[in-house]
Amino acid sequence: MSERRIQSSTTPPVSRGVASAPHLELRGLGLKRGDRWLVRGLNLAVPRGAFVAVVGPSGVGKSSFLSAVAGLLEPTEGEVIVRCHQGCDHRPLELQHCTGIVFQQNLLTPNATVLTNTLAGRLGRRSAWRTLFGFPREDRQAAYRILCDLGLGAQVHRWSCQTSGGEQQRTAIARALLQEPDLYLADEPVSALDAYLTGRVLGLLRQEAREHGRTVLCVLHNAELVERFADLALSFDPGDPANWKVREVRR
Amino acid sequence: MSAPTPAPVVVNPATPPGLPAEPPPPPRINVFTVTVAAFALAVIASWPAMRGSGRDLDTWANLSRFLGHFFPPDWSVWRETLRALGETFQIAVLATVFATVLSLPLAVIGARTIAPAWLVAPARLVMNFSRTVPSLVWALFGVAIVGANPLAGVLALTLYSLGYLGKFFSDAFESVDAEVARGLSALGANRAQAFQYGLWPHAKPLIASHVLWMLEYNLRAASIIGYVGAGGLGAQLASYYEYYAWDKVATVLLFILALVTVLDLLGEWVRRRITRSLGVRK
Repeated sequence: MSERRIQSSTTPPVSRGVASAPHLELRGLGLKRGDRWLVRGLNLAVPRGAFVAVVGPSGVGKSSFLSAVAGLLEPTEGEVIVRCHQGCDHRPLELQHCTGIVFQQNLLTPNATVLTNTLAGRLGRRSAWRTLFGFPREDRQAAYRILCDLGLGAQVHRWSCQTSGGEQQRTAIARALLQEPDLYLADEPVSALDAYLTGRVLGLLRQEAREHGRTVLCVLHNAELVERFADLALSFDPGDPANWKVREVRR
Repeated sequence: MSAPTPAPVVVNPATPPGLPAEPPPPPRINVFTVTVAAFALAVIASWPAMRGSGRDLDTWANLSRFLGHFFPPDWSVWRETLRALGETFQIAVLATVFATVLSLPLAVIGARTIAPAWLVAPARLVMNFSRTVPSLVWALFGVAIVGANPLAGVLALTLYSLGYLGKFFSDAFESVDAEVARGLSALGANRAQAFQYGLWPHAKPLIASHVLWMLEYNLRAASIIGYVGAGGLGAQLASYYEYYAWDKVATVLLFILALVTVLDLLGEWVRRRITRSLGVRK
């Protein structure tokens, strides 16, 4: 299998001050669901601060791929390596607190407020004692700021189950943003949002990548959005698991 | 006249070509049918219990005579009944509160989705033991160690409810969707945080409703355990039985009925409020 590694020369200009080592490295990654291979022999090095769009038809294995990068799904073969700021190699599970995930099913607590659901993004930073009776003031202030940014200012004190599908999706995004992680894994984060909010959310993620060097892996279905926001596009082929492709998006 | 051509044999007409064949139908003998069959056999095997004494008794006359003793209820005992009812209520409330506090940690380590298997088994054993021993036996145990007073009742019903609430709570923790808790762990939350923010809110309404049920149950149980001296209405009931004062027993029973009904209505109202607030999920 040919090595289709993204050379450092193709590193997008967004990654200023990037260490030479890539942030995320996939080595011969293979994922199997049942007896069907979803992807095989995936070699990819993602530079820190890149916005990677993961594309492909439904059922091709995009969500499984993100789960594997998150460490929630053990790869059938190969390995996933995430580098910390010191340049050490880690398994994904060791860096869970610096991985922000927007789950496809949102995974919010229905009978908790939008604010509390968002604040859950800070759980990894605080001790269980500190979060036993609530969150520090600075966490709450940051949460309010992000929620207002996402147009959820009027909903903050409502239960998540009382908000609409799009509002729940933005709550899940706000939770990931509040985490301020090094790596975002977003599984169709804009599937329930209108064009304006889609631009707003992806713009925020892009800003996270560009200004803070936080790498984004984002499943997207809309080709136009890929062209507008992504640096790299990783596509999977439903017919041939080995025929994955990485392409640099030129603006 | 030519014979009509036979229709081609279609093995699986519902499946268009190119798609995997439909799976075969589930087997006729499955958990459900076997359970029903086992129950039917158990009914047949149990039928001898319906034989009775075998003598020709005037059943209906016996019944009406016995029931006649209850009417009219003797309201003259309302004062002592009310006092004993208050004591029964106190026993039930304290036992329910203590059992709730004690069973929550027990339920957490008894839930397969939360605790490792080596903790689950002993926790479940403790809960099963507590349920296996009848409340009257727990009451005897209480009277033996703290004497014949309401404290024995509190002790007995706490130990008895512990098993029930522990089981209900662990089932609640196991039945609610653990995905959110797993998701929070994936975001870096530790086990305690994932439980508090991901699992507990889902289980809370179920737990509240179980605690209400237990309170009602304990109220009824607390009117029995007095029989062996553990306080409450039971002692009074026992003395009335002793003297065949069925009209006084009727008064006591009506008082219990009133209290249980009030509690039932209250519980129903609280449960409705809880489920309604959760029911607006879109």
